[in-house]
Amino acid sequence: MNTASRVRTARELLIGLVSLHPWSFTIAVAGAMIFALGTVASSVGIRLLIDDVIVPGFTAGELPAADFAVVAVIVVSIALVRAGGVVVRRSFAGRTEWEAARTLSDRVIARVLSQPPSWHRRRMTGDIAARAGVDADAAVSVLAPLPFATSALMLVVLAVSWLFVTDRWLGLIALIVLPVLLVFNVRYQRRVDRHYSAAQHELGSLSEAVHESFDAVLIVKAFGAEERETRRLSAISERLKRARTQAVSLRSTFEAIVDAVPSFVNVLLVATGAWRLSEDAMTVGELSSSVFLFTVIAFPLRIVSYLFSELPHSASGWKRVQEILREPVAAHPMASIRHDSGGRIVVRLDDVTVSHDGQPALNNVSFDVRAGEIVAVVGPVASGKTTLLHTIAGLVGADSGSVTVSARRPALVFQEAFLFADSLRYNLTLGRDVSDERIDAALRRAEAYDFVEEMGASLDAPLGERGVSLSGGQRQRIALARALVHDGELLLLDDTTSALDPNTEARVVENLRGGNDATSIIIVASRPSTISLADRVIHLDGGQVVAIGTHASLLESSAEYRRLIGAFEADRSDAATPNEGGSTRGD
Amino acid sequence: MATDATPSGDGVSAGEDRMSTVRRSAVGTIREGFTTAPALAQGLFLTFVLAVIGAAGRVTIPILLQQSIDRGIGEGGVDLGLITRLCAVAAVVVAIAAVSQRTAVYRLGSRAEEGLYALRVRLFDHIHRLSLADHNEEKRGALVSRVTSDIETLTMFFAWGALSWLLNLSLMVVVAGVMVAYDWFLAVVVFAVVAPLLYVLRFLQGRLVRAYDQVRRENADMLSTISEAVSGVETLQVYGAVEGQEQRVRIRTKRRARTSIRAGVIGAFLFPSGEVFSVLAVVAVVGAGVARGPDAGLTAGALIGFLFLTYRFLEPIAEFTEIIDHTQTAVAGLRRVLGVLDTPIGPPPPESPIPLPAGRLDIRFEDVSFAYPSREDARAEEPILRHLSLTIASGTNVALVGESGSGKTTMARLIARLIDPSQGRIVLGGVNLTRVANDELRRRLTVVPQEPFLFAGSIADNLRFVDERASETDLRALFDRLDCIEWLDSLPNGLNTNVGQRGAALSAGERQLVALVRASIVDPDVLILDEATSSVDAITEVRLSRALARLSAGRTTISIAHRLSTAARADRVIVVDEGRIVGDGTHAELVAKNDAYRDMYEAWVRATEAGGS
Repeated sequence: MNTASRVRTARELLIGLVSLHPWSFTIAVAGAMIFALGTVASSVGIRLLIDDVIVPGFTAGELPAADFAVVAVIVVSIALVRAGGVVVRRSFAGRTEWEAARTLSDRVIARVLSQPPSWHRRRMTGDIAARAGVDADAAVSVLAPLPFATSALMLVVLAVSWLFVTDRWLGLIALIVLPVLLVFNVRYQRRVDRHYSAAQHELGSLSEAVHESFDAVLIVKAFGAEERETRRLSAISERLKRARTQAVSLRSTFEAIVDAVPSFVNVLLVATGAWRLSEDAMTVGELSSSVFLFTVIAFPLRIVSYLFSELPHSASGWKRVQEILREPVAAHPMASIRHDSGGRIVVRLDDVTVSHDGQPALNNVSFDVRAGEIVAVVGPVASGKTTLLHTIAGLVGADSGSVTVSARRPALVFQEAFLFADSLRYNLTLGRDVSDERIDAALRRAEAYDFVEEMGASLDAPLGERGVSLSGGQRQRIALARALVHDGELLLLDDTTSALDPNTEARVVENLRGGNDATSIIIVASRPSTISLADRVIHLDGGQVVAIGTHASLLESSAEYRRLIGAFEADRSDAATPNEGGSTRGD
Repeated sequence: MATDATPSGDGVSAGEDRMSTVRRSAVGTIREGFTTAPALAQGLFLTFVLAVIGAAGRVTIPILLQQSIDRGIGEGGVDLGLITRLCAVAAVVVAIAAVSQRTAVYRLGSRAEEGLYALRVRLFDHIHRLSLADHNEEKRGALVSRVTSDIETLTMFFAWGALSWLLNLSLMVVVAGVMVAYDWFLAVVVFAVVAPLLYVLRFLQGRLVRAYDQVRRENADMLSTISEAVSGVETLQVYGAVEGQEQRVRIRTKRRARTSIRAGVIGAFLFPSGEVFSVLAVVAVVGAGVARGPDAGLTAGALIGFLFLTYRFLEPIAEFTEIIDHTQTAVAGLRRVLGVLDTPIGPPPPESPIPLPAGRLDIRFEDVSFAYPSREDARAEEPILRHLSLTIASGTNVALVGESGSGKTTMARLIARLIDPSQGRIVLGGVNLTRVANDELRRRLTVVPQEPFLFAGSIADNLRFVDERASETDLRALFDRLDCIEWLDSLPNGLNTNVGQRGAALSAGERQLVALVRASIVDPDVLILDEATSSVDAITEVRLSRALARLSAGRTTISIAHRLSTAARADRVIVVDEGRIVGDGTHAELVAKNDAYRDMYEAWVRATEAGGS
């Protein structure tokens, strides 16, 4: 990146950030200005103390009480005003920073949640969450030192001018040294940042490797690979250590130089001042106050370099946040679902074709589902079963054809239940107002009531805390209960009951059957017992409807269907005739 | 929440008296940190001495001013020669101090990196050896943050907080020393004026510590709510709950902002307090100094020098807020890290291992009971196995059946010595399992878990996890032996097919298949297999059972059976219920005689009945 574009990026970043909360930023800058003026004024206070109190006092042999009282009041007042400036600057810089972070996080989340699932599927969940959280924080981090840095520049101008007023030679030294020091600061910062970003990169790969390694603990233990894994992770940590140590080396040199330079310059000021004193061109007080002034502006200068070091970090956070905010909200497939009211048909797919990233997932699928009907969707892996359900739920858009859903409030239970780290109640209601009776009824129908009761968890106790972990089947049943609480006219169950043992599954499906007659169910299933409970079966293969009919009729008419169901048949006949085990397999 | 899941029981209870407990144990925590990672403490004294010499650079100018004013500027005008010589000496002192400071900072920083590296390695090693009870899903995130973010808080501390402590402490020591040397009376005046600042600091510091604590909590809550909103987006959209979740996030971001701003305001008052007190001290020093006057042996130069020293003395206060924050965060991080190291490691390695006999191995359970120790509660958890005794002859194929939670997985884990019994013992090939060296056990016995973990990488990478030197031909031979080479060949890139994060590019059944091949590399005498519950499509199912039959042939095999067809094929079926054996025999025998088994069997038959009504 060249300088011009870097400046442009920085300007865009700063304007963008400041305009989020301009008033509190302005107040922070005003506080910083008071601080800068107070700093120069405090050096004047030192001069007054020396020239009007110390020197005459030592000459006269007694304390000039009246002058001392006046100077003391002036010096203390300056200090209090300056401190007030600091309090205002820091308080409001903080306010600007955190309010800006809040604004960005809220905006990112609002935008992200309105994007359709296809948008989300193209991205990593962790990455999006990072943009709403840590990236927003990174983006605003430059706001903390910004007011101070602004005033530091003003301080340099004021200090140089004041030194010129005091004595032109001292002013000249300041005029040369301060900008050099500033540039040196910024230069160093850029160099050391390279090491730090290298270290950051290593840290990223370390944390990735650690995640994987700890996730794999069972395998690591099973193969006795503990030492090997420790070695692998240690090697990455070693690289991290090396990058950091290099940064430390550079930084320690810089710190020492930056601390020493004002001292060297002060030595120079004393030497020059002594010469000016000998010519009666200045007083001891003026010399001392110049030395003082030079000492106190060294620190604000470092803030400027700190600001520069925060800029890239901030800019990359800002960029990642803006990428989300600038992207228009894609059309949600839910919006393209037609709603017909009334009639016996609750779902109608008419020649629907769906693809994922150019890969066809459903081809010219057409069928109807009648009110109160239970339809099973059966097919091999990757035949389009999940896509079919997601299309009806409005999570996936059709490339062509039309989807009509006239059932009110369709509810989809995902293959993998998603539970929130909140109370059981929130997980079931998702924040809507639902009576306890309805919740209990839903839990009963989902066969979840007993284990919830057994856990001793109240509806409002947080789920999953204190080591209470739910099994896959239990999570599924809670997700199912959520759908039942939703009380819609259409239930879409994506392999929801397969993680349950056959007995529980049978009970759940029976409960669903025995429920409200108006509720239609489309269920992706693989156990013959479940499939046989359906009124009709849709047999999918390769994204196409191969056959529709009752389970019995499909078994009769379709060899392909028989083969699909056959695996279970074979499995069972194995169990039934153990002595001939294996005879029906493998063909 | 990861940051809250502190596995160590360090007795810090949340509540009103939390502050004092934390403060008391902070010192202990730091001391233990030093003993755990000795590199951190190595040469710390010399580093401090160097820092003190470095701090001398910062008092050079006040001394130079004093000397120049008192000796160079007299009645007879300015002695330029003397002042030039003084300036030259001062420049040399500043240079030496700079070099010394540089060395101190580098020593501190590089030693810290060395120490933290050692601490990380210890953590990796320890965590990998922790018992499986400490490795469950809930605790995993916490373990990852121990070696990443918690150690990072220590890195941050050593880069900023510790550096500040070191440089500022030495500066205050040096300045105070020079002050006393100049004029003890004025030094006492300074200390007297400054003393009330200690109360101000204590008052604000307590508030600040609590405020930062709250910021950390709110921050963690905010981040988890955000990530939940993003992960659950489909669920939220399907149930029309997007707006509600947005509202939840807004509440969190608002609370985080509010607490952060509050902490910032407290810090804002703390920051300039040092300067205000400096000015008060300066005014007092000037007044007292001039009043005492030359009679007490004081010179104008010394008083001016003193004035500068007074400012320097309280300079470090400005950095106090940052130091407090970093220190507090680091101590909390260190405490969590030490907490992990305190957690006893899983089955401890035997002190004097006994070799296993050659050939197939039999397995004996002798009065075995097991309960997961509960760290959260004082009471131990319900036992999972109760006084279980059992002998499995070598070379037999045994199926464990029972409802989930009956104890069959625990039995398998005990045989694999992933956990040790609370009572009784497991004997493998005549040797108490606790006396078998880990290396040997892993060569002789292999586990295929229910959800086999695959590393991101190719299929070959995952197999070479077990045998790094295996050639491509070797690996293909393995597939051939398990009769699934045609599956491998059906993949676009064969052995080099990328399996994706945690094997996500493969189906559950395919993952299991790779895991079986991986287990076959070990050629174990004992094979433990946790059958997958997730549904697998028919073709993969066939492949799996074929591979399994090949793999288990001739070995002592223990299968945790979820399909009764697996049980039916086994030589022997053991029915477990609530930690006890309630049935033992062949499938046919059990169907005939065992009620519990027959019930399960009938349910299974019903479930797989294809014909329907």
